[in-house]
Amino acid sequence: MARFQALTNNVLDQELEMLRERLGLGASQKAELLREVAALAAWIVRQAEQGRLVEGRRGTDVEALRHPAIERIRAAKERPVGPRVALTDDEVSRLAEVLDRGFVLSPALRAALANLASTKRRPPKLRWKKTAA
Amino acid sequence: MAVRIEALGRQHRTLLAQFQNQHASLVEYLTRFALRHGEKDLLARTYVAIDEVAGAPRLAGYFSLSTVSVDRASAARLPGLNRLPGFPIAGVLLARLAVDARVQGQGLGRFLFEEALGLTLQLGRAGPVAFRLFVTDALDGHAAGFYERFGLARLGDQFPCRMVLDLGPILGAR
Repeated sequence: MARFQALTNNVLDQELEMLRERLGLGASQKAELLREVAALAAWIVRQAEQGRLVEGRRGTDVEALRHPAIERIRAAKERPVGPRVALTDDEVSRLAEVLDRGFVLSPALRAALANLASTKRRPPKLRWKKTAA
Repeated sequence: MAVRIEALGRQHRTLLAQFQNQHASLVEYLTRFALRHGEKDLLARTYVAIDEVAGAPRLAGYFSLSTVSVDRASAARLPGLNRLPGFPIAGVLLARLAVDARVQGQGLGRFLFEEALGLTLQLGRAGPVAFRLFVTDALDGHAAGFYERFGLARLGDQFPCRMVLDLGPILGAR
């Protein structure tokens, strides 16, 4: 498996410097290096978004690309239910309180449920104003 | 003639442009995206309230329903999380609810909310899928107050404000 680790700025600089040399770029071509790295990364992300496994092969020797970013893309693609709503920690705490406090049947909700069960339920008769209020 | 609720279809196209609401985003959604989301993208289904005025139909209001997956933005440890069902929590999203500005204050919003809740409970009770939450986003304090009357709780303090109703007890969760 390829080596991925938390990189400090120094280590990141060294990695980029090594990449620059291996890609045959000169010391003054840092912008070119970033463009090439971005192009390679974009290709990998596109493959992952299309649900493809990214792996290196030589004969029977196979090395799959594993990285948290790829896992995030895969998880987002495989999410079973429709649109995703991501709650902040504060919202999660409030949700825990809501689900924990037990059922509170407000008068309006009680009326709504009773209306839904009633065969006499009718929509309101509307009076249209000429202009908006 | 009484208002009738219909699933939005191509036959309603000519009515969309006349819809008026103080929130431009609610008008824009209806006129530009609702039909496409319902028929092509299958992202949300919109239901419209049609009123007959002097023999001509008018679109008095609408709501859109979609499924939603409620998840956490961060993976930080939080106290009390063990009380929650595992994330993501499935729900039905009341994505939009709007009443034409010319007929507001006459009970149509409440009627549309009941319709949306009724369709949601119908789906939950029929049993083909399971979900726990009824979720909506209130655009302003007026909308948040409206939903609070029906028992929805605010999850945040700013607008648009995410609000939820726990359907577990209504759907008979054990």
